[in-house]
Amino acid sequence: MTFRFVGGKVLGSLGTFAFVVVFNFFLFRVVETNPVGTLFRGRNLTEAQRAELRHQFGLDGSKLDQFWHYLVQLAHFNLGRSYETNATVFSEIWTAAWPTIALVGISTLLSTIFGVLIGISAAWRRGSVRDHGWTTFTMTTYAMPDFWLGMLLLIVFAVLLSWFPIGGITDPTSNASGLGTLVDQAHHLFLPCLTLTVAYLGEYALVMRSSLLDTMREDYLVLARAKGLRDALVRRRHAVPNALLPVVTLIAINFGFVLSGAIAVEAIYSWPGLGHATYQAIRAPDLPMLQGLFLVFSASVIFFNLVADLAYSWLDPRVRTN
Amino acid sequence: MKRGWRFVLAASLGAIGIALLAGAGSAAQQATVTFTVGDTQDVDTLNPAVGALVVDYDVWNMHYPTLTRKAASDFHTIPGLATSWKGSNGGKTWTYKLRPHLRWSDGVPLTSADIVYTINRARKEGWLNYTAFIGNITASAPNARTVVLKTSVSDPRLPGLGDTFIVPKHIYAKISAKNLTKYPATDGVGAGPYTIDKFVKGQYVRLKANPNYWGGKPKVDQVVLRIFSNGDSMVFALKKGEIDAANDIPAADFKGLESSKGMVAVQGQQGSFDELALNGYNGKPSRNTKKFSSPNPALKDLRFRQAIAHAIDKEALVSRAYQGIGIPADAMSPGASPEWRPKIPKSLLYDFDLNEAKKILDSAGYKDTNDNGIRNLPHGGADIVLRYLVDSESSYARPISQFVTSWLKDIGIGTKTSTFNESQLTVQIGKGAYDLFTWGWTPFVDPDPELSYFTCSQVAHDASDFTNYYNDSSYCDPGYDKLYAQQRVELNHAKRVAIVHKMLTRFYRSAVYDVLEYSPELQAYRTDRFTGWIRQPAKIGPVLFTNTSPTYANLKPIKK
Repeated sequence: MTFRFVGGKVLGSLGTFAFVVVFNFFLFRVVETNPVGTLFRGRNLTEAQRAELRHQFGLDGSKLDQFWHYLVQLAHFNLGRSYETNATVFSEIWTAAWPTIALVGISTLLSTIFGVLIGISAAWRRGSVRDHGWTTFTMTTYAMPDFWLGMLLLIVFAVLLSWFPIGGITDPTSNASGLGTLVDQAHHLFLPCLTLTVAYLGEYALVMRSSLLDTMREDYLVLARAKGLRDALVRRRHAVPNALLPVVTLIAINFGFVLSGAIAVEAIYSWPGLGHATYQAIRAPDLPMLQGLFLVFSASVIFFNLVADLAYSWLDPRVRTN
Repeated sequence: MKRGWRFVLAASLGAIGIALLAGAGSAAQQATVTFTVGDTQDVDTLNPAVGALVVDYDVWNMHYPTLTRKAASDFHTIPGLATSWKGSNGGKTWTYKLRPHLRWSDGVPLTSADIVYTINRARKEGWLNYTAFIGNITASAPNARTVVLKTSVSDPRLPGLGDTFIVPKHIYAKISAKNLTKYPATDGVGAGPYTIDKFVKGQYVRLKANPNYWGGKPKVDQVVLRIFSNGDSMVFALKKGEIDAANDIPAADFKGLESSKGMVAVQGQQGSFDELALNGYNGKPSRNTKKFSSPNPALKDLRFRQAIAHAIDKEALVSRAYQGIGIPADAMSPGASPEWRPKIPKSLLYDFDLNEAKKILDSAGYKDTNDNGIRNLPHGGADIVLRYLVDSESSYARPISQFVTSWLKDIGIGTKTSTFNESQLTVQIGKGAYDLFTWGWTPFVDPDPELSYFTCSQVAHDASDFTNYYNDSSYCDPGYDKLYAQQRVELNHAKRVAIVHKMLTRFYRSAVYDVLEYSPELQAYRTDRFTGWIRQPAKIGPVLFTNTSPTYANLKPIKK
């Protein structure tokens, strides 16, 4: 990969991000709103109190002044203050990011591993009972809405069987620390993680199956067999690495959506991540929070798209030469 | 490949095993008596100076003491930190005597200095939650057990001071005015029945029983307020027994809980209502007509508004739009207690009667002169098409608008609906850019704030901030204002109630604010764990998330 190639891709991503920064500011100001009036409706505030709140919320001054203030703040990694909690948006997002990274990160990893293995298993025995079984299963999970699957798993495993808690990230009555907390969190994490894993593995399995089927028709696989290599070796050394290319891109792009979390699943399991924060911010409505969340989500998607671009061209020289 | 599968399978089974073991572990560690209540609203802050949400108040009610409290039955003033009080100087001076041996949860003595500090500092710094109650009060402390409050005008709310949460001086004195709004208030020092133990944003607030509480340590060791993002999941948790009670239950689940064994479902009334507001702006106070929008001219006519009032079937709205939950309404409810609401005489009620509505419109000269099904303004005026704003954040606003527009169409009035979220709606109302909208209010205990919203001074008239006003009927009635001023200084409770009834009957008859239903809080609790549930106000109110939530301190575990 040349410096020019990488530089071009990075500049393209920075340009997209700059557009998002500007768009993000105006998106939330297209319609006329008054958060002070709404949040403190009926409270008979004095004019001084209202002016102070407008100042705190960064609503004093013209739109242009606010935009300049927003850019200066952003340059200092300051996303403003939440209308609802008065805490900095950065700290609110930081707190909510870790539960989401744990939940969506682990489930993305698991769905990738299981999806790829299922895809390989189905493609290698194409037309067999196993292939039909896996394809039916993955098509079903792929088509299933994650909130519906989440509700189903919640009712079966948390309500009927009582194996898992209904929601949250820890037991509120627990005073455990260290390993105890970790185990408690694992117990709470299991069902939402299972929901997301099952909901997303279908996509990986179907892409992997189709990619491997394409690769299996290639001449070099016939040659490998003709050399007398064992079937498992042909699959592991020659077929799977080449078939993985589209899956790698898919993984990188999907990782971009890790931060935006899974709003529906977080809502069902009361998982206090970024999805939950987005849901609460929309309900308020807490514009600085929404603005900050949208910016972080966009930045994450742009960054991982760049990673996907670079990874693909590194893995496949045809991309960068073209 | 097979080895790979085996590894993945073993790892997955291991994960399930660990997760299940963890479940067994957490189930085994329940040693203390814990009362857990679920809610769908997240606590925004524990700081009583700046918080604004209903759920915050429930935490403050448990954690902070108040000089006086409000009775569970009807909110009348009862002892809190003070056991007795005496008024003088025509109700402008009140002297309170505190209980002996009061202590904060950290053991520091609680004296009159804490009360004086809270009131005077809150007034000087304009604490958002305090100024409405103590904005006019100056406090002093002749000795450690005596507090004297002075006001410039007599205030019928006194001697009651049940909304002013007293903060510990030895903690708050270290926090500057500049830093106060950012203070998280997780110091855990309180003097209510429970004190804040742990707050995990987005998940729960845990409070523990306060051994220094003047009323004695509660029978429940800890209270957990657990936050759910989803009402359905919360109902599952209630049925399963993960939580003991739940607030803000989705209407669709409520009916099922009413018939569930071992469960009590509560429709708690504490003054909340929904209304169909009309833009009744009648030129008072005067305002810049270029900056403000004018209502449809027909709305200035009382007969036209009365016709609309006759066209609203509130019984049908409650049974269909509100899914059978709530009570059809007539007069506005200005306070949490039903005593403030007048009983409108039958002869003055606007009953649902489409023929009567049509008759009124015909006789007032609103006829369909161009045969298009929509009546015209008198003397060959334009078609009457009202701008109807629909609140996108209310699950009821859309179905209500469908019923209302259909009834209005039946009597020959056209509508043009547009949808706004509540922040946008506030601006549109301030600008007067509406003819109709539906929204609701939850009034305070004292009726004064709610009554004040409908005075002439609260009709938006300054274009520099459209939302600095609360009169969302935009209707100015000097007769109402006169009565408002009278009730404000009337110290005789019965006389004040009579004045309030008179002004609300007058407001009802003006037909600018059609109150549609008295909206309940939907709650439920299990009957197998605790006793001691208290409804506030008596018989009709909710059991939790009430104005002072007396249930928490009164709960007793059921021995098995």
